[in-house]
Parts: sequence; C-alpha cells; structure tokens
Amino acid sequence: MAQYVKKDDDRDEEAEYSPFSGIEKGAVLQEARVFNDPQLDSRRCSQVITKLLYLLNQGDTFTKVEATEVFFSVTKLFQSKDIGLRRMVYLIIKELSPSADEVIIVTSSLMKDMNSKTDVYRANAIRVLCRITDGTLLTQIERYLKQAIVDKNPVVASAALVSGIHLLQTNPEIVKRWSNEVQEAVQSRAALVQFHALGLLHQIRQNDRLAVSKLVTSLTKGTVRSPLAQCLLIRYTSQVIRESSMNSQPGDRPFYDYLESCLRHKSEMVIFEAARAITELSGVTSRELTPAITVLQLFLSSSKPVLRFAAVRTLNKVAMTQPMAVTTCNIDMESLISDQNRSIATLAITTLLKTGNESGVDR
Amino acid sequence: MESCPSVKNILLLDSEGDRVAVKYYSDDWPTNNAKEAFEKSIFTKTQKTNARTEAEIAMLENNVVVYKFAQDLHFFVTGGDDENELILSTVLQGFFDAVSLLLRGNVDKKEALENLDLIFLCLDEIIDGGIILETDANVIAGKVASDSVDSGAPLSEQTISQALATAREHFTRSLLSD
Repeated sequence: MAQYVKKDDDRDEEAEYSPFSGIEKGAVLQEARVFNDPQLDSRRCSQVITKLLYLLNQGDTFTKVEATEVFFSVTKLFQSKDIGLRRMVYLIIKELSPSADEVIIVTSSLMKDMNSKTDVYRANAIRVLCRITDGTLLTQIERYLKQAIVDKNPVVASAALVSGIHLLQTNPEIVKRWSNEVQEAVQSRAALVQFHALGLLHQIRQNDRLAVSKLVTSLTKGTVRSPLAQCLLIRYTSQVIRESSMNSQPGDRPFYDYLESCLRHKSEMVIFEAARAITELSGVTSRELTPAITVLQLFLSSSKPVLRFAAVRTLNKVAMTQPMAVTTCNIDMESLISDQNRSIATLAITTLLKTGNESGVDR
Repeated sequence: MESCPSVKNILLLDSEGDRVAVKYYSDDWPTNNAKEAFEKSIFTKTQKTNARTEAEIAMLENNVVVYKFAQDLHFFVTGGDDENELILSTVLQGFFDAVSLLLRGNVDKKEALENLDLIFLCLDEIIDGGIILETDANVIAGKVASDSVDSGAPLSEQTISQALATAREHFTRSLLSD
C-alpha cells in the first residue's frame, strides 16, 4: 500500500510524460515511409504502427488518400519475418478497413499466412481476412476456413468459428455449408472452441425449431465444458421451453430439471444465468421459482458488488409480477438499502416497496 | 436477449477520463463525439466510487457497465442491459489481469502508454467484433507476448513466466530506444 501512496506523490512530476505527447498526424504519416525501406527495421516499423493506431484510437481520422497510402505501405511489411511486427500489421489492416479493390493487394499474403505452420499467423490471418473479405473472396477461402474450424489448435479453431458468426450476417448461404465441421467443433475438448462452435451452430439453425430442440436435447444430457458455453445452452434451452410452452401441461415443463441442475454449477455466471432463466419462464409457478430465489438470495450477501447487483436487479423484476415470491429475501434486501453502490441501494429500495409490509417500513 | 453474449465496448481511461485505449464493437455510438460523451459520463459517474479491490457495476444509458481501477487507470466493460452481469465482469477481470501481467504489475498510465502496442493486442485477443474470444488472463497475456517464443511451440503451452519474460524484454527495449 505504501508503494501506491508514493506513486501518487510522484505523479505530478510525471504528469506531462507520455511517449505520444505532441504527436502529430502529418509527422507520423511521414514516418510511415520507413515501411518502404528495402532494409526493414521491424522495431521501428512496429513503433510507427503503434503511433498510427494511437492516433486512430484517439479519434483522429485519415482521409481516403492518407488511409490508402498507409495501407499500401503496410502491405510491404509482409516481407518481414518478425512475428511481433506481423501482428501489428494485422491490427492496422483491420483498423484501416480497406476497400474492396485494396483488399486484393493483401489477399495472397493473408491466404499464405492462414495456411502457415505458425499458429499465431493462422489464427490472426483468418480473423483479418474474414473481416475485410467479400462474397467472392470468401468462396475462394471457404475450404481453408472449414479446415480451420476443426484445426487441432484451439486458437485457430476459435478464430474461424467467431469469423463464421460475423460472416453469417453477410453471407449466410456460405456459412450454412459449414454445419458438419461446426458440429464436430461443438464436441471439442477445448472449452472456448465449444463455446464458439455452439454459438455458431445455433445461429445457423436458429430458424429451424426442430433442429434447435434436438441440439438442446442432446447437449443437456452430455457435458458442456466451458461456463460460457453452458450459459449459451441455458439461453437456447429457455428458447425451446418458450416455443414448446403451448403444448405442455402446467407443472410438466420440459428441461426445467436441466435449468435447476445448473443452479448447482460451480461457476457463478452459470448459476446466475440459470436463476435468471427460471425467473423469466412464462407462467412460472412458485414451486419452480423457489430454488432460483434461494440462490439469488445467497448472492445478495456476496462481497462482490457485481453479484449483489445482478441478484437484486433480477429479484426486482420478479417482484413486479410475483412480489410474494421475493418476500423471503426482505431481510437481506433491507441491509442493501445502505449499500455503497447506489444502483444496488436503489434497486433494493424499489424491490422492498413492492414486497415490503408495514413491519419492514418501521425497520 | 442476445443469443450470444456480447460486449459493446472496452475502455481504458486515465485519471482525468481521457483515453488510453478504447475499442467499440457496437453502433450505439456512431461518431467520435458520441463515444467521447459516453466516456465522459461513465467516468464522471464512477469517479468517486471505490473499484480498487472488487469490480464495481453501474447502469448508464440502458447499458450495464462493470469497472475496476488501478492507480491512475480506469478499466470499463459495457454490455446491453439484458446481458449477464457476471459474464461482463469475467471479461473485465480477464482484461485487467492480462494488462497487469503484461505491464509486470506496474499498472499505471505511464507504463500502459509505453507498452501501448501490447494493450492494443490484448484488446484484440479478448473480443472479436463484440464476441468474447478469450477470458483467461494467462492465455490472453501469453498470446500477446508470443512474439519472442519459439514459433513452433503451441500457444497453449506457453507459461506465465514466458509471457513475463517477453513483457520484460519489451520494456527494456523501449527504455533503451528512447
């Protein structure tokens, strides 16, 4: 702690210091000419790219001419073998978002990188290429993307899957052809790959109720590895429950047991996702609500503000329609009235106004 | 509800509320002025709160914002108002811890600006177009610092010490070059 205090004292002297102080766009654009040097200084080139990214990040804009010029000189940097520099090149290309006729200039370099033996190159080149690509180019690289989805390196697979989620907005007919690979990736042992694959597979199938229902049925029986993937599965399960609610009898809700079992998951984000899903079930019975309210009540006394907020916000919503179900939390809710976080305190008060009775007001 | 959890922006501001590095993934703030106005209001709203030991949370313009401070740096992650708060805070924690690793524990503005390339790469490894790419700080920092590691070695096998070694080397180089 002493160190922190000292740091604050020193700050006045250092206030003016910044490697970017007095930086000007014109001068940096001049500096960018080093990208054209026959002998590339990769350290220097990286620094110039960082300056360009800094300017863009601060809200500076490049004119079309300036952006094109930078883009063309940046493409020269693909000659360098320096991985650090290459990653900065990928970043600046994404930020410059080149136009279709400019993209052609880097296509072959990026295609080479996406088939490289270096995993970092493969993953990043896929993300860049998919970001700047159009339909025609996409057909050319489709084969590699399908391979990448089932790549044994999880970083590469995730890069391809996440790119697929974005591309589905613009080129749905192409991405839908990757179903088999995506389905294989859902079984991946890598947690994040499973999450990304599940996200993409659901989006591919989202208009096919039966397919989504089958997906949920099979996955809720198996094991989902990542908490994020489990949260997705809870969302898809809620969707299936919503759509099938017409046919089922009250008290006989499909998949309720699955949602309830998620309340015992070891990850807080999954527990919360499940609790929230249960409270949002249409026509939820008080019997169905009880276990969800119980875990949310535990969150109310957590030391983490984010957990308290999430719980009180959800309970506040429940109190609008079913105030009786939330009264069990009144004591915990009262102690939140003086919470340091004003949002939490406000939510606690409005919840109590819906659930409280005279004895509560006296306290 | 969004079918896939999504992040609207990640902000790293200084103790005046000025940008160190920011990344927007949503069209909610189409112009730079709109972005700056959002940053100003979230900075003002959270300035007096204590978010140094635990991440804090606030609502702003129908968005959920989770945030954490360290010295003169303010970290923010924003999501839609029906996003799972705990997912957003996992992203925030991943970002915060990855930056701490990459800055070798010296989490302040000076160090962040000196290693701004690492911060940009770090943001790029956490979120891709609003979709969560990775939340494990060790993995994120490992991926960012991978340039000095043998390119044949799988990323997943990199250790924190390798990541730190790279960060350290990077730091020394930037000192020498100034």
